[in-house]
Amino acid sequence: MGHPTTYDEMAEFILQNKENYYRLAYSYVRSREDALDIVQEAIVRAFSSRKTLKDTASMKSWFYRIIINTALDFLRKNKKYTYLDEEQWEGLSSGPGDTYEDVDLHKALDKLSPKNRTIIILRFFEDMKLSDIARILGENENTVKTSLYSTLKKLRLELTEDMV
Amino acid sequence: MNISDMKKDYENTPIPDELDFIVRKTLKKEKDKMKFHKLSKNIITGVAAAAALFVLTVNVSPAAANAMADVPVLTSLVKVVTFREYTYKDDHHEADVKVPQVTGLDNKDLENHLNEKYLEENTKLYKDFLKNIGTDNLDKANLALFTDYKVILDTDSLLVMASEKTEIAASGSESVHYDTIDKKNQMVLTLSSLFKDSSYIDVISKNIISQMKDQMAKDEDKMYFIADGTEDGFKTISADQNFYINKDGKLVISFNEYDVAPGVMGIVEFIIPTEVIKDILVSDYYVK
Repeated sequence: MGHPTTYDEMAEFILQNKENYYRLAYSYVRSREDALDIVQEAIVRAFSSRKTLKDTASMKSWFYRIIINTALDFLRKNKKYTYLDEEQWEGLSSGPGDTYEDVDLHKALDKLSPKNRTIIILRFFEDMKLSDIARILGENENTVKTSLYSTLKKLRLELTEDMV
Repeated sequence: MNISDMKKDYENTPIPDELDFIVRKTLKKEKDKMKFHKLSKNIITGVAAAAALFVLTVNVSPAAANAMADVPVLTSLVKVVTFREYTYKDDHHEADVKVPQVTGLDNKDLENHLNEKYLEENTKLYKDFLKNIGTDNLDKANLALFTDYKVILDTDSLLVMASEKTEIAASGSESVHYDTIDKKNQMVLTLSSLFKDSSYIDVISKNIISQMKDQMAKDEDKMYFIADGTEDGFKTISADQNFYINKDGKLVISFNEYDVAPGVMGIVEFIIPTEVIKDILVSDYYVK
């Protein structure tokens, strides 16, 4: 199904969703200039790897994945950011009773590892399905679900069933 | 605080004014890259085809081989080169203006006239651009200007030059102007000079409207503005509408972005079937 994506389709899609992509990039670097650079670089990468996009319908998650990879590469390359891998993040935040209940939740989001933060952003702010998020992060769906539950617990967020 | 507060917070991430500009500029550069790849591929295919044809002809007929030996020059002497390039770049502004120069025409008056026109037009664009970004209210606004040219047809008798212009401010706008040059008779063709009388305006306009309707009926992605009673839109071409003659000898009518269609349609062009206009053409020398 579908057909090879044309330049116009991709360009229009990127223009329509540019603010979502910028916000996600910004959540990684917390800097206006760097987030703009990431969006720009991601567009270039998207066009050079256009052939890896099999179907126009999956363009949304495909481009999120490029934004995330570009942002992570950027963090690795730039020394002004301290980059912690997933294990180090977990180590920092795994003490008993270590929750952020008293902290402003926006800041709490910042304290999450990039991956756990991305799961929250994509699931609740961008309304994506867990299966799509799993594909974006290259993980299996159960792992993503488990991470989501534990993050929510950490954030002490009350949720109704249909949110997860 | 709950999820919806967090979501609101996330959605309130300030979006910089220049995001739109930067995205459009990057998309435009990617488009140019793709055009370039396509062009180089076409040229390579063209050369390979010509070589294959040559070998075939020589093998088939010894007479043809002898006849070919008498042809001294296979390539056209008329060439288009970049005469000058103006570039400018700072944090908010970018310009890349290429001035073409036609060389090798026997008619030096025509050659000079064309080259002066290209230089004058492009220099003015660049100067206006610099003037604009120097003014108080625009020195922080994002502006970009790109011009480029392409030879889209080069046969023994005709040379068609396309001068392209892209301006990006709050949104982008693209335009292109064609010059169709008769190399043998050494003149620039005008649309009206192809026809016996001014009836071509009406005939071509009607054909374009029917092509627009046809395309919209067949493809829901196509969208044109057609004047329809109260609706504003395309009624008629102008007497000196932008046009060129393509490799099949067909007349092509061109409209700039936004002229007859929403911006997403870009520059739109219509090939006018020759049977529609054959009775009013002066001759079948140019349009076949």
